[in-house]
Amino acid sequence: MGSVVSSAAHTAVPLPAAALAVKILVAGGFGVGKTTLVGAVSEVPPLSTEEVMTAAGVGVDDLEGITGGGTAKVTTTVALDFGRITIDEDVVLYLFGTPGQERFWSMWDDLAVGALGAVVLVDTRRLDSSFGSIDFFERRGVPFVVGVNRFDGLLDHTEEDIRAALDLDPEVPTVLCDVRERASCREVLLALIDHIAARFAAQN
Amino acid sequence: MSADKGRYGHAWDEDAGPLVRPYTLTRGRTRAAHADLTLITLVTTVEPVPDDREAGGLHPEELDILRLCVRPQAVAEVAALVHLPVSVVKILLGDLVNAGRMTARAPLSMAQAPNAELLRKVRDGLGRL
Ligand SMILES: Nc1nc2c(ncn2[C@@H]2O[C@H](COP(=O)(O)OP(=O)(O)O)[C@@H](O)[C@H]2O)c(=O)[nH]1
Ligand SMILES: [Mg+2]
Repeated sequence: MGSVVSSAAHTAVPLPAAALAVKILVAGGFGVGKTTLVGAVSEVPPLSTEEVMTAAGVGVDDLEGITGGGTAKVTTTVALDFGRITIDEDVVLYLFGTPGQERFWSMWDDLAVGALGAVVLVDTRRLDSSFGSIDFFERRGVPFVVGVNRFDGLLDHTEEDIRAALDLDPEVPTVLCDVRERASCREVLLALIDHIAARFAAQN
Repeated sequence: MSADKGRYGHAWDEDAGPLVRPYTLTRGRTRAAHADLTLITLVTTVEPVPDDREAGGLHPEELDILRLCVRPQAVAEVAALVHLPVSVVKILLGDLVNAGRMTARAPLSMAQAPNAELLRKVRDGLGRL
């Protein structure tokens, strides 16, 4: 528990037992279906918020002085989709989706802290748009599955071809999906949980 | 809201773009008082929420946050609902927690609590989707 919790604990209103949160990230290139997936499974209308980044992708602290009337720094905002799934009275799952692009990696570093795992969506017509996301999670050891979003049911590659093109490790699952369908998204998320559980079991 | 100008020093300069207003709200600070407010830290208002007349020291945005969080909300949800960037909302929430007006609950993380029980729960919950 961090200092926030302890410093105000004496004035705390008892929280419902429901209030422990976990998160799963949804990554992949532009237009692969991240926003659609989050919306398909969220129990609340999916929300979108903004994180402020400097153009160079360095820390937000560099915004210091922006109100001081000096030269305005170039900043950019990145949209962050999120949705919520209440698991039971003790656990709430949040899903976060945002573009996996190099200039956003500093934000992904923060997002990845404490995440259970990630779903990387790919569009078979533009596999390369998700390469960066796969690299990111591999390098940081974050467990992930690849969701192959079948736009219009088209699949002009075999799953093996796709795995080879993505250079996936053998243990990383791929799941064909249509992210417009809740049931299909559920299968992707279940595959992720099973993958995390298998890794966890192997380590213990 | 003319009182805000006096309190925060700067007028709202439309030409300078949308970031000026949020960081004026935080009195120019860009770092939260609490580094441990994550996107999924759940924040809850310590009731009662002051009414408008009692809220002398509070900014309207801070009052909005207090009203919003009578039930727990994740930091990211608060930011989306009050239409402010996450980094700005973290600063406001840090102040409210420091002032004893809100409590914050850290998320469960696999690093702290890697366990098969949690995964089984999440799996069961997702299965009910
Ligand atoms: N036909 C079809 N369209 C899809 C599918 N998944 C997403 N889309 C559409 O593709 C577009 C991009 O999806 P979006 O979720 O916004 O992608 P994002 O950029 O990754 O968030 C949207 O118009 C979706 O409705 C799919 O499986 N089939
Ligand atoms: Mg999107």
